[in-house]
Amino acid sequence: MTAIQTEVLLQTLISGVLLGGLYALIALGMTIIMGVMKIINLAHGELMMVGMYIAFVLFSWLHIDPYLSVFIAAPFLFLLGIGLQKYLINPVMKVDSILPENQVILTVGIGMVLANLATIIFQSDYRQTPVSYGTKAWYLRDYWKDSPVDISLSMPWTVSFTMALLITAGLWFFLTKTDMGKSIRATAQDLDAALLMGVNVERMRVVTFGLGSALVGAAGCLFIPIYYIYPDIGGQFTLISFVITILGGLGSTVGAIIGGLILGLFESLTATYVGMGWAPVGRFVIFVAALIFIPGGVASLLRSRKFGK
Amino acid sequence: MKHLSWVVAVIFAFTLFAVPVFAADTFDLVIPLPLTGKPAKFGEIMKRSYELAAEEINAKGGVKGKKIALSFEDSNGKPETARAIVEKLIDSKKQPVIVGEYTSSCAKAVAAVAEERKTPYLVVASADDDITQKNYKYVFRQNQVNAHYGDAVVSFLKEVVKPKTIAILHESTAFGTSGADAMAKDAASFGAKVVLREKFENGAIDFKPLLSKVKAAQPDVIYTVAYANEAQLIMKQAKELRIDAKLYGGGAAGFAIPEFIKGAQDAAEYVVSATLWTPQLNYPGAKAFADKYKTKYGDYPSYHGASAYAALFVTADALNRAKNWTQDGIRDALKATNLKTAYGPVKFEDKEGYQNQNFHETLAIQVQKGEFETVWPKSHASKPYIYPVPSWRDRK
Amino acid sequence: MKKHITYIVLGLLALVPLLGLSSYMMHILILVIMWSVIGMAWNLLSGYCGQVSFGHAAFFGVGAYTAGMLYSKLGISGWWGFPASVVVVAVFALGIGYICLRLRGPYFALATLAMGVIFRIVAENLVGVTGGDLGIMLRERTWIDKTWYFYIILLVAAVTYYLVRKIIESKLGYYFVAIREDQDAAESLGINTTKYKTIALILSAVITGFAGVFYTNYMGYIDPKVVFALHDISIITIMVVMVGGVATYWGPVVGAIIMVLLAEIIRSIPKLGTAHHTLFGVLLIVIIIFLPNGIVGDFSKLKRLFGMRSPAP
Repeated sequence: MTAIQTEVLLQTLISGVLLGGLYALIALGMTIIMGVMKIINLAHGELMMVGMYIAFVLFSWLHIDPYLSVFIAAPFLFLLGIGLQKYLINPVMKVDSILPENQVILTVGIGMVLANLATIIFQSDYRQTPVSYGTKAWYLRDYWKDSPVDISLSMPWTVSFTMALLITAGLWFFLTKTDMGKSIRATAQDLDAALLMGVNVERMRVVTFGLGSALVGAAGCLFIPIYYIYPDIGGQFTLISFVITILGGLGSTVGAIIGGLILGLFESLTATYVGMGWAPVGRFVIFVAALIFIPGGVASLLRSRKFGK
Repeated sequence: MKHLSWVVAVIFAFTLFAVPVFAADTFDLVIPLPLTGKPAKFGEIMKRSYELAAEEINAKGGVKGKKIALSFEDSNGKPETARAIVEKLIDSKKQPVIVGEYTSSCAKAVAAVAEERKTPYLVVASADDDITQKNYKYVFRQNQVNAHYGDAVVSFLKEVVKPKTIAILHESTAFGTSGADAMAKDAASFGAKVVLREKFENGAIDFKPLLSKVKAAQPDVIYTVAYANEAQLIMKQAKELRIDAKLYGGGAAGFAIPEFIKGAQDAAEYVVSATLWTPQLNYPGAKAFADKYKTKYGDYPSYHGASAYAALFVTADALNRAKNWTQDGIRDALKATNLKTAYGPVKFEDKEGYQNQNFHETLAIQVQKGEFETVWPKSHASKPYIYPVPSWRDRK
Repeated sequence: MKKHITYIVLGLLALVPLLGLSSYMMHILILVIMWSVIGMAWNLLSGYCGQVSFGHAAFFGVGAYTAGMLYSKLGISGWWGFPASVVVVAVFALGIGYICLRLRGPYFALATLAMGVIFRIVAENLVGVTGGDLGIMLRERTWIDKTWYFYIILLVAAVTYYLVRKIIESKLGYYFVAIREDQDAAESLGINTTKYKTIALILSAVITGFAGVFYTNYMGYIDPKVVFALHDISIITIMVVMVGGVATYWGPVVGAIIMVLLAEIIRSIPKLGTAHHTLFGVLLIVIIIFLPNGIVGDFSKLKRLFGMRSPAP
């Protein structure tokens, strides 16, 4: 392998890991919602869009750094999620209907309204937060002059990645160490058992939806320094979240991280060695393969080897 | 079941009454546009520009004494909806001329209807080559065909850069594909070898794997065709990877909108892009339109806006010259168009296998100190081009 | 009266072209009928058999491309797509069924969703076969007038309606519903669930493919982003049936009227501008909250709401 080939490979792997970490954060919200409620939430990406617009507004009006607006956007989306769950989704879930999937209409409707409201308020312009460190990067050769390969590490990508990891760790702590977190996990694992043990399932659902929305809102804030927004951006993130949720296993935090990393690496490697036009096919091929061969996702593999929770 | 059919009947009746009324002292012009969905951004630029044009035309007395009453219908970027709108305009509103649409797939649907119903249709910003290659008699196109979008950039490469190798990146849409095809063909004409040709999905986030591959191929020129904000992401990430090509080229669209500079910031510097129009051109009214747009909406319009703005003048001119306001009357008038507009001279020619196509000069712009400057052809240049460009390491 | 309603509605619809409706109204009607067909097809697999598909765009697109490629590759009329698509779509459906039907509930839904997207991207990338992103454009459509298109899609709809009704009232239909209600129980009763689910899938796919063939011939232009669209085809299909009424004969028709006709009316309200999406979205939310089984499915509830007397269905 020549130096240049090594460089391409290393750079691809770095990209894959960074991308995977961010993907994981987007999917975390979905995985806990799907784990607890088993609903297909097609408004997930739109909730992320709301988070991105909050970061955008705070940046352009009050000059608040997008990374700081995580602490404003997440609580806001938490409340929004609670509202949606309590007043729209729960009433529909309670009614016995022929196909439980009728909540799809609900989430599509919610997504439509959110995207359209964004169009009305912000117009369909592409927006970004031109932060001063937007194109900064660290280069290996700046630190080690004679390095045979030159590897670069983008600053905003790295910061976003690190924050995504911190948020994920926080969530993991919440789910495993607090009472409420434990109740949520119990609800996800076995609804009937949770009911028997006196868990207030309805309340857990509301909290979970709020939490899931908050997470994806936070992901929106982390994305905006490296990406851009317009009102109809949501759909593509919803799809990515589905893939990771299934790959990682419904409701599993660790699974979502591993799933995100697998997806990120896989997409990057496909883009480099097969062709970027095919990368999305790869995404869905692993998705279907995961559905068939590891229906419980990565989490079930971990569980069977007594690693994760 | 019985009541159900009533519900159905009522809903049907409702639409039948939804036929609008005709006002006599105005000329009603309804323009189909994408105002929601992915292409909405461009729909909006064009909507604003049409409105500015209508204001000016009406201030000068309108067409044959009638004021133009503009309104817009949202096609959502869906061909069926675009078609529904146009069928409605032709049938219920008896509108004798169609102007508008943006995406090529919608324009194709509209063109087919217009031709079948013998109603003239002025294509404003849809680039697919085959729209004016179908021997349509009633379809006119004001913007250049995609195959020629890159002409000015090609001649710039040929005469200034003289590259040996070129990498072509394009998004996986009709626009991206045909733009890349055209560049691949042109590359042979200036003796450059295409060392890499890759496409990417609309909305992609991480281009670094692709760009690392480009870096390894070490092309002289990297030419990218991207609709919207992929352009700025690619430049930002190219800077992060320090890929030192002799020149970065862009195929209009995403490289020629103000968001490109805002988003890519310093990474946008020195990029040369194709475009169809710039505010700096010395066409009559170009500057005035650009300034008016900027004061009202905060940014300079892209070429889409200028094309829309001029299209309304072209339409008004045809309406003024038309013997009568029938579909054929307006068609004949459009065919005879020879108008100097803010967008450049407009006349519809049949050549190179195209029909009713306006072949206008394309331009190359370069980002210099955070502004678009027209650099090629020299006759239109607002600033001299900067070439060779400094390597990433030497910037700042 | 009740027994003959189908014939009456059909007869009335057959007379519609004589009314001299504008070409615009005919376009909307044709789209309504086309969506009814897709809805009825989806209903067969998802409404009756309980396998909720999020990927019907795959079948619609394959049908559309069968017609388109017959035209672009073999130079014959796109209408030959009707017979050809039966085989082509059935083969693809068999493949998809083999992969997806072993999954259940949300897993099946997501697997089909992925299939739809995979089909789109493959169609975009196989430039030599499909023409890639540039799509396929018919040089000339068969007729300018809409009458024949109307009758063709009406015929497809009538046959579909008849077929769905016959199937659901046959043994096959009982098996479908049994699988929907409790797959394990159905299996323990000796029903070969895989076989019947596959049958439902193929029937549903072929009918959806017909709609795709019709679309190509009617619109004269297709590209992968249009005919394999996730939102504009797959999701709208689900909404058509769910809004109208899952597992009802007329649900898909009513749903198609809402999703096409009502959407068009709302879109055309002057002065509303882009806000028509919000209005329509809110409407959908309201419908599903008050009528979780759709308009036809919860029709008795609707009648009660409007103070009509309500004999239990």
